[in-house]
Amino acid sequence: MQNLYIAPTSSTPEVNFQFDQHQLSLRGESYPENAQAFFGPIMQAVQNYLPSLQSTQVTVDVQLAYFNSSSTKVLLELFSLFNDAAVAGNYVTLNWHYIEDDETILEFGQEVADDFTALDFHPCALVE
Amino acid sequence: MSLTDFHRFKELARQENVVFYYTGYFSQSIVTAMGDSLRLRLSSLDASQTARRKLFSVFVEMAQNVVHYSADHLTATDESDHEIRMGSLWVGEADGHYYVVCANPISSEGAAHIRAKLEPLRTMTNDEIKALYKEKLRAEGEAGSKGAGLGFLTVARDSSNPIEFDFVDETGTAGPFTTFYLKATI
Repeated sequence: MQNLYIAPTSSTPEVNFQFDQHQLSLRGESYPENAQAFFGPIMQAVQNYLPSLQSTQVTVDVQLAYFNSSSTKVLLELFSLFNDAAVAGNYVTLNWHYIEDDETILEFGQEVADDFTALDFHPCALVE
Repeated sequence: MSLTDFHRFKELARQENVVFYYTGYFSQSIVTAMGDSLRLRLSSLDASQTARRKLFSVFVEMAQNVVHYSADHLTATDESDHEIRMGSLWVGEADGHYYVVCANPISSEGAAHIRAKLEPLRTMTNDEIKALYKEKLRAEGEAGSKGAGLGFLTVARDSSNPIEFDFVDETGTAGPFTTFYLKATI
Protein backbone atom coordinates (compact mmCIF):
# COMPACT_ATOMS: atom_id res chain seq x y z
CA MET A 1 0.00 0.00 0.00
CA GLN A 2 1.15 3.50 -0.78
CA ASN A 3 2.77 5.62 1.91
CA LEU A 4 1.10 8.87 2.86
CA TYR A 5 2.96 12.13 3.14
CA ILE A 6 1.34 15.54 3.66
CA ALA A 7 3.63 18.56 4.15
CA PRO A 8 2.93 20.75 7.18
CA THR A 9 1.29 24.17 7.09
CA SER A 10 0.81 26.70 9.91
CA SER A 11 -2.49 25.08 10.83
CA THR A 12 -2.03 21.46 9.78
CA PRO A 13 0.59 18.92 10.88
CA GLU A 14 3.14 17.03 8.84
CA VAL A 15 1.69 13.61 8.17
CA ASN A 16 4.32 10.97 7.44
CA PHE A 17 2.73 7.53 7.37
CA GLN A 18 5.29 5.01 6.11
CA PHE A 19 2.99 2.06 5.94
CA ASP A 20 5.71 -0.14 4.39
CA GLN A 21 7.90 0.49 7.48
CA HIS A 22 4.94 0.48 9.91
CA GLN A 23 6.15 3.87 11.12
CA LEU A 24 3.53 6.60 11.30
CA SER A 25 4.11 10.12 12.51
CA LEU A 26 2.15 13.32 13.03
CA ARG A 27 4.15 16.44 13.82
CA GLY A 28 3.34 20.11 14.16
CA GLU A 29 0.08 21.85 14.92
CA SER A 30 -3.48 21.08 14.02
CA TYR A 31 -6.19 23.71 13.78
CA PRO A 32 -7.64 23.46 10.28
CA GLU A 33 -10.98 25.13 9.56
CA ASN A 34 -12.57 21.76 9.08
CA ALA A 35 -10.79 18.94 10.92
CA GLN A 36 -13.10 16.28 9.49
CA ALA A 37 -12.18 17.36 5.96
CA PHE A 38 -8.43 17.40 6.70
CA PHE A 39 -8.31 14.09 8.58
CA GLY A 40 -10.90 12.27 6.45
CA PRO A 41 -8.44 10.96 3.83
CA ILE A 42 -5.89 10.17 6.57
CA MET A 43 -8.43 8.11 8.50
CA GLN A 44 -9.38 6.37 5.27
CA ALA A 45 -5.75 5.42 4.55
CA VAL A 46 -5.34 4.05 8.08
CA GLN A 47 -8.57 2.09 7.74
CA ASN A 48 -7.23 0.52 4.56
CA TYR A 49 -3.85 -0.24 6.13
CA LEU A 50 -4.73 -1.75 9.51
CA PRO A 51 -6.82 -4.76 8.43
CA SER A 52 -3.88 -6.02 6.30
CA LEU A 53 -1.68 -6.46 9.40
CA GLN A 54 -0.98 -9.65 11.28
CA SER A 55 0.99 -9.66 14.54
CA THR A 56 2.79 -6.58 13.31
CA GLN A 57 4.72 -4.03 15.35
CA VAL A 58 3.45 -0.56 14.43
CA THR A 59 5.05 2.59 15.82
CA VAL A 60 3.05 5.80 15.96
CA ASP A 61 4.85 9.03 16.86
CA VAL A 62 2.68 11.98 17.75
CA GLN A 63 4.38 15.30 18.35
CA LEU A 64 1.67 17.93 18.25
CA ALA A 65 2.41 21.18 20.04
CA TYR A 66 -1.19 22.30 19.71
CA PHE A 67 -4.48 20.96 18.36
CA ASN A 68 -7.88 22.61 18.44
CA SER A 69 -11.09 21.09 19.78
CA SER A 70 -12.31 19.61 16.49
CA SER A 71 -8.88 18.05 15.82
CA THR A 72 -8.94 16.57 19.33
CA LYS A 73 -12.14 14.74 18.53
CA VAL A 74 -10.76 13.33 15.26
CA LEU A 75 -7.46 12.31 16.91
CA LEU A 76 -9.40 10.29 19.45
CA GLU A 77 -11.14 8.46 16.58
CA LEU A 78 -7.75 7.79 14.98
CA PHE A 79 -6.32 6.32 18.20
CA SER A 80 -9.43 4.20 18.54
CA LEU A 81 -8.56 2.58 15.17
CA PHE A 82 -5.02 1.82 16.39
CA ASN A 83 -6.41 0.39 19.60
CA ASP A 84 -8.72 -1.90 17.61
CA ALA A 85 -5.70 -3.10 15.60
CA ALA A 86 -3.84 -3.85 18.85
CA VAL A 87 -6.84 -5.75 20.21
CA ALA A 88 -6.83 -7.70 16.94
CA GLY A 89 -3.34 -9.04 17.70
CA ASN A 90 -0.92 -6.35 16.53
CA TYR A 91 1.51 -4.40 18.71
CA VAL A 92 0.96 -0.68 18.52
CA THR A 93 3.37 1.66 20.25
CA LEU A 94 2.21 5.25 20.69
CA ASN A 95 5.08 7.62 21.41
CA TRP A 96 3.47 10.74 22.80
CA HIS A 97 5.87 13.67 22.51
CA TYR A 98 5.03 16.79 24.51
CA ILE A 99 6.85 19.89 25.63
CA GLU A 100 7.91 19.20 29.18
CA ASP A 101 5.84 21.79 31.04
CA ASP A 102 2.75 21.56 28.84
CA GLU A 103 0.36 19.74 31.13
CA THR A 104 -2.69 19.92 28.82
CA ILE A 105 -0.99 17.93 26.06
CA LEU A 106 0.36 15.38 28.55
CA GLU A 107 -3.05 15.04 30.21
CA PHE A 108 -4.72 14.35 26.88
CA GLY A 109 -2.08 11.72 26.13
CA GLN A 110 -2.78 10.06 29.46
CA GLU A 111 -6.49 10.07 28.70
CA VAL A 112 -5.75 8.34 25.41
CA ALA A 113 -3.72 5.75 27.33
CA ASP A 114 -6.57 5.28 29.85
CA ASP A 115 -9.18 4.91 27.10
CA PHE A 116 -7.19 2.67 24.80
CA THR A 117 -5.44 0.20 27.03
CA ALA A 118 -4.26 -2.05 24.19
CA LEU A 119 -1.87 0.68 23.04
CA ASP A 120 1.69 0.60 24.32
CA PHE A 121 1.79 4.24 25.43
CA HIS A 122 5.07 6.08 25.98
CA PRO A 123 5.02 9.70 27.10
CA CYS A 124 8.18 11.43 25.85
CA ALA A 125 8.97 14.82 27.36
CA LEU A 126 10.72 17.32 25.10
CA VAL A 127 12.96 19.63 27.07
CA GLU A 128 13.02 23.09 25.50
CA MET B 1 -10.54 59.43 11.68
CA SER B 2 -7.93 62.18 12.06
CA LEU B 3 -4.38 61.22 12.93
CA THR B 4 -4.93 62.78 16.37
CA ASP B 5 -7.88 60.45 16.93
CA PHE B 6 -5.79 57.60 15.68
CA HIS B 7 -3.10 58.53 18.19
CA ARG B 8 -5.69 58.53 21.01
CA PHE B 9 -6.92 55.13 19.87
CA LYS B 10 -3.36 53.80 19.87
CA GLU B 11 -2.60 55.40 23.26
CA LEU B 12 -5.70 53.83 24.78
CA ALA B 13 -4.62 50.44 23.46
CA ARG B 14 -1.17 50.97 24.99
CA GLN B 15 -2.57 52.06 28.36
CA GLU B 16 -4.91 49.09 28.42
CA ASN B 17 -2.01 46.73 27.60
CA VAL B 18 -3.64 45.46 24.43
CA VAL B 19 -1.33 42.85 22.96
CA PHE B 20 -3.34 42.33 19.82
CA TYR B 21 -6.52 43.70 18.27
CA TYR B 22 -8.33 42.84 15.05
CA THR B 23 -11.72 43.72 13.69
CA GLY B 24 -13.04 42.73 10.29
CA TYR B 25 -13.72 39.61 8.35
CA PHE B 26 -12.41 36.31 9.69
CA SER B 27 -11.41 33.41 7.47
CA GLN B 28 -9.15 30.45 8.20
CA SER B 29 -6.20 32.14 6.46
CA ILE B 30 -6.71 35.30 8.55
CA VAL B 31 -6.94 33.19 11.72
CA THR B 32 -3.69 31.44 10.79
CA ALA B 33 -1.92 34.74 10.06
CA MET B 34 -3.22 36.24 13.32
CA GLY B 35 -2.08 33.07 15.09
CA ASP B 36 1.45 33.49 13.70
CA SER B 37 1.52 37.12 14.79
CA LEU B 38 0.16 36.31 18.25
CA ARG B 39 2.73 33.54 18.62
CA LEU B 40 5.54 35.99 17.92
CA ARG B 41 4.17 38.39 20.53
CA LEU B 42 3.73 35.58 23.05
CA SER B 43 7.28 34.34 22.59
CA SER B 44 8.57 37.72 23.76
CA LEU B 45 6.30 37.77 26.81
CA ASP B 46 7.16 36.40 30.19
CA ALA B 47 4.60 33.58 30.32
CA SER B 48 4.89 29.85 30.97
CA GLN B 49 4.54 27.32 28.15
CA THR B 50 1.21 26.20 29.62
CA ALA B 51 -0.13 29.77 29.80
CA ARG B 52 0.96 30.50 26.23
CA ARG B 53 -0.63 27.32 24.92
CA LYS B 54 -3.86 28.07 26.79
CA LEU B 55 -3.93 31.61 25.45
CA PHE B 56 -3.32 30.36 21.93
CA SER B 57 -6.01 27.69 22.38
CA VAL B 58 -8.61 30.23 23.56
CA PHE B 59 -7.67 32.51 20.66
CA VAL B 60 -8.12 29.74 18.05
CA GLU B 61 -11.43 28.48 19.49
CA MET B 62 -12.90 32.00 19.62
CA ALA B 63 -11.59 33.02 16.18
CA GLN B 64 -12.83 29.82 14.54
CA ASN B 65 -16.15 30.35 16.28
CA VAL B 66 -16.42 33.65 14.37
CA VAL B 67 -15.43 31.93 11.10
CA HIS B 68 -18.14 29.31 11.62
CA TYR B 69 -20.98 31.15 13.35
CA SER B 70 -20.93 34.96 13.10
CA ALA B 71 -24.26 36.15 11.70
CA ASP B 72 -22.52 38.61 9.37
CA HIS B 73 -21.07 36.51 6.60
CA LEU B 74 -19.76 36.83 3.06
CA THR B 75 -20.31 33.15 2.36
CA ALA B 76 -23.42 30.98 2.24
CA THR B 77 -24.59 29.81 5.68
CA ASP B 78 -24.60 26.15 4.73
CA GLU B 79 -20.93 26.12 3.71
CA SER B 80 -18.57 24.30 6.04
CA ASP B 81 -15.32 25.30 4.35
CA HIS B 82 -13.74 28.58 3.23
CA GLU B 83 -16.11 30.60 5.33
CA ILE B 84 -15.65 34.34 5.87
CA ARG B 85 -17.50 36.07 8.69
CA MET B 86 -17.33 39.34 10.65
CA GLY B 87 -16.03 39.78 14.18
CA SER B 88 -13.55 41.43 16.53
CA LEU B 89 -10.95 39.89 18.76
CA TRP B 90 -8.50 41.29 21.21
CA VAL B 91 -5.86 39.97 23.52
CA GLY B 92 -4.78 42.06 26.46
CA GLU B 93 -3.12 41.96 29.82
CA ALA B 94 -4.52 43.13 33.14
CA ASP B 95 -3.36 42.48 36.71
CA GLY B 96 -0.74 40.00 35.56
CA HIS B 97 -3.21 37.87 33.57
CA TYR B 98 -3.76 37.65 29.85
CA TYR B 99 -7.27 37.69 28.48
CA VAL B 100 -8.98 37.22 25.13
CA VAL B 101 -12.22 38.97 24.20
CA CYS B 102 -14.19 38.17 21.10
CA ALA B 103 -17.24 39.92 19.67
CA ASN B 104 -19.44 38.98 16.77
CA PRO B 105 -22.99 39.62 15.58
CA ILE B 106 -25.48 36.84 16.14
CA SER B 107 -29.15 36.44 15.32
CA SER B 108 -31.54 37.54 18.07
CA GLU B 109 -32.70 33.93 18.53
CA GLY B 110 -29.07 32.84 18.94
CA ALA B 111 -28.64 34.61 22.28
CA ALA B 112 -30.86 32.27 24.31
CA HIS B 113 -29.15 29.22 22.85
CA ILE B 114 -25.65 30.53 23.62
CA ARG B 115 -26.66 31.69 27.10
CA ALA B 116 -28.00 28.22 27.92
CA LYS B 117 -24.63 26.73 26.93
CA LEU B 118 -22.45 29.28 28.73
CA GLU B 119 -24.32 30.02 31.94
CA PRO B 120 -23.70 26.56 33.52
CA LEU B 121 -19.97 26.82 32.69
CA ARG B 122 -19.68 29.93 34.87
CA THR B 123 -20.53 28.13 38.08
CA MET B 124 -18.72 24.84 37.43
CA THR B 125 -15.41 24.01 39.09
CA ASN B 126 -12.34 23.24 36.97
CA ASP B 127 -12.74 19.53 37.67
CA GLU B 128 -16.41 19.62 36.63
CA ILE B 129 -15.49 21.41 33.39
CA LYS B 130 -12.78 18.83 32.66
CA ALA B 131 -15.22 15.98 33.36
CA LEU B 132 -17.86 17.49 31.06
CA TYR B 133 -15.19 18.06 28.39
CA LYS B 134 -14.17 14.40 28.58
CA GLU B 135 -17.78 13.30 28.31
CA LYS B 136 -18.54 15.57 25.31
CA LEU B 137 -15.32 14.57 23.58
CA ARG B 138 -16.55 10.99 23.48
CA ALA B 139 -20.17 11.85 22.62
CA GLU B 140 -21.70 12.06 19.17
CA GLY B 141 -21.47 15.46 17.46
CA GLU B 142 -24.14 18.04 18.15
CA ALA B 143 -26.64 18.97 15.43
CA GLY B 144 -25.78 22.34 13.88
CA SER B 145 -22.16 22.18 15.03
CA LYS B 146 -19.44 22.51 12.41
CA GLY B 147 -16.67 21.41 14.75
CA ALA B 148 -16.70 19.04 17.66
CA GLY B 149 -19.17 21.13 19.68
CA LEU B 150 -16.36 21.58 22.18
CA GLY B 151 -15.34 25.19 21.49
CA PHE B 152 -16.95 26.90 24.51
CA LEU B 153 -15.95 24.03 26.80
CA THR B 154 -12.34 24.31 25.62
CA VAL B 155 -12.40 28.06 26.29
CA ALA B 156 -13.81 27.41 29.79
CA ARG B 157 -11.26 24.66 30.41
CA ASP B 158 -8.30 26.88 29.47
CA SER B 159 -9.62 29.89 31.39
CA SER B 160 -8.44 30.41 34.97
CA ASN B 161 -11.48 32.51 35.95
CA PRO B 162 -15.13 31.88 35.05
CA ILE B 163 -15.75 32.95 31.47
CA GLU B 164 -17.66 36.22 31.03
CA PHE B 165 -20.21 36.94 28.33
CA ASP B 166 -22.72 39.56 27.30
CA PHE B 167 -25.28 40.29 24.60
CA VAL B 168 -25.77 43.84 23.35
CA ASP B 169 -28.72 44.76 21.13
CA GLU B 170 -27.73 47.16 18.36
CA THR B 171 -29.28 48.74 15.32
CA GLY B 172 -27.50 48.37 12.01
CA THR B 173 -28.26 49.55 8.48
CA ALA B 174 -29.92 46.20 7.79
CA GLY B 175 -32.00 46.33 10.98
CA PRO B 176 -31.52 45.32 14.62
CA PHE B 177 -28.95 42.73 15.58
CA THR B 178 -27.25 41.40 18.70
CA THR B 179 -23.53 41.45 19.43
CA PHE B 180 -22.22 38.53 21.45
CA TYR B 181 -19.18 39.18 23.66
CA LEU B 182 -17.11 36.44 25.21
CA LYS B 183 -14.13 36.96 27.52
CA ALA B 184 -11.72 34.43 28.96
CA THR B 185 -8.85 35.17 31.34
CA ILE B 186 -5.87 32.86 31.35
